[in-house]
Amino acid sequence: MWNPKKSVQLSLICTKIVILMVVACAAALPSLIDRYAEYALVPVETSSLHMFMAILYLCCVPAMAALACLHMLLGNIKNEKVFITRNVKLLRIISWCCFAASLVLTFAVRYYLVFGMMSVAIAFVGLILRVVKNVIEQAVVIKAENDYTI
Amino acid sequence: MAIIVNLDVMMARRKISAGDLAEKIGITPANLSILKNNKAKAIRFSTLEEICRALECQPGDVLEFLEVRHGADE
Repeated sequence: MWNPKKSVQLSLICTKIVILMVVACAAALPSLIDRYAEYALVPVETSSLHMFMAILYLCCVPAMAALACLHMLLGNIKNEKVFITRNVKLLRIISWCCFAASLVLTFAVRYYLVFGMMSVAIAFVGLILRVVKNVIEQAVVIKAENDYTI
Repeated sequence: MAIIVNLDVMMARRKISAGDLAEKIGITPANLSILKNNKAKAIRFSTLEEICRALECQPGDVLEFLEVRHGADE
C-alpha cells in the first residue's frame, strides 16, 4: 500500500539519481559539448563553446549544493523531523542556490538566449521555495508553542 | 517571562513530590518539569483546574505576574 513514508523514500531515491546524473554530466561535459558542436545546425565558435562549458560548470556548484540540502531535508522528513529550524535553514540555502544559478544564467543570456528562459524559471522556483521556507518558519513557531502548552 | 509559575513553592507547602502531582493532574513528569521551570508557553484551563484541585489552592497561588521592563538589560 502506498503511504507517505514510501513517498519520501521515492523522493530520496530520485534525489540520489539526480545527484549521480549531475556528477556524470559534469564528468562527461567536455565530450557532450563536442557532440553538441558536431550536431549543431549553425557552426559554433570554440570560444563560445568554452563559455558554454564554463556556464554549465558554474551552474553545477549551486545545483550540487541544492541537491545535497534536498537530500538532508528529505532525511529529516524521513526521521519525522519536519518542523525544525534546520529544515528552514536548508530550504533557505536551496532557495539561494536557485537564485545563484538564475544569476549565472542571466549573465549567460548574451551567449545563448534559451538561458534567459531557464533563468526566469529557476528564479521562480527559488521564489516558491522562499515562500515555503516562510511557511515552515511560522509552523516551527506554532509547533514550539503547541509543544510548550501544558 | 512576565508570568512566573510558583508550582515548586506550592508543592513544597503541600509536601507533594513531582511524580505524585504529575500523576494526580494527569500530565507527564516531563511536562510538569517544563511547567515548574517556567519553560511553558501556555497553560490550559483544564490543567490549571487539576493543579488547583490537587494542591487545594487558587490560580493566583500558582501563577504570579512580574513586571519586566523590555530592553532594560540591553
